[in-house]
Amino acid sequence: MTGRVRDLALHLLDRQVVDTEGKAVGNVDDVELVVPEDGSPPYVVAILTGPQALARRLGGLLGQWLGFWSHALSRPDSSEPGRIPMELVTDIDTQITVARTRQELGVHRNEDRARQYLILRIPGARHARQ
Amino acid sequence: MRGSDLLGAPVVSRSGAALGRVLDVRLVQDGPLLGAFAAMRVEGLVVGHRRTSARLGYDRVEAHGPWLVATVVRWLARDNRYLPWEQASLEGHRVVSGLDELLRVPFIT
Repeated sequence: MTGRVRDLALHLLDRQVVDTEGKAVGNVDDVELVVPEDGSPPYVVAILTGPQALARRLGGLLGQWLGFWSHALSRPDSSEPGRIPMELVTDIDTQITVARTRQELGVHRNEDRARQYLILRIPGARHARQ
Repeated sequence: MRGSDLLGAPVVSRSGAALGRVLDVRLVQDGPLLGAFAAMRVEGLVVGHRRTSARLGYDRVEAHGPWLVATVVRWLARDNRYLPWEQASLEGHRVVSGLDELLRVPFIT
């Protein structure tokens, strides 16, 4: 019996990733593949998300520009793209659902840090929904 | 390896003739078990020259409209072809095809 067929660019890339609470985690900006040593075909082991992943996929001047700024604004511990192992994926449809919360995944440390230290300090930021 | 290492890579025949670029990567969910699901394994490459038309997928899925868009995009994607993974080999940044003539792109049903 053959498994479900999908095309990477058509059915996975740029799809939104949501966590167990339905909150957006990010987009599928790239995927990580493992090439088995026995010569069998590569397979997807992780979703990569964030500007570091998107920069490499875009390539060209735009990719270089995005890569430069995402690297410049990153701490050394967060200069790699966010990585979501496929073991955590519970559904692949028009969006990808993962079995962790955004905080548990920790895939957008720069963005979360900017929110904590910059955005939330702007007067009125904590009342955005009112 | 990343998906982006394959997407956009030039595809050449064994004699060095240019066959196009990798427009998409066909995945089948029957690889090793990862968590509750089988992994998505690479089955083949969609090869062509026009990246924009490939992103709409009219050449690979049963899509019925809008009629005018479908007709134009299918025409743009008429030269897209398929390279089974077992016939592909990676050499640096390019893919070398074991087939001199690529196959028609299989529809996703």
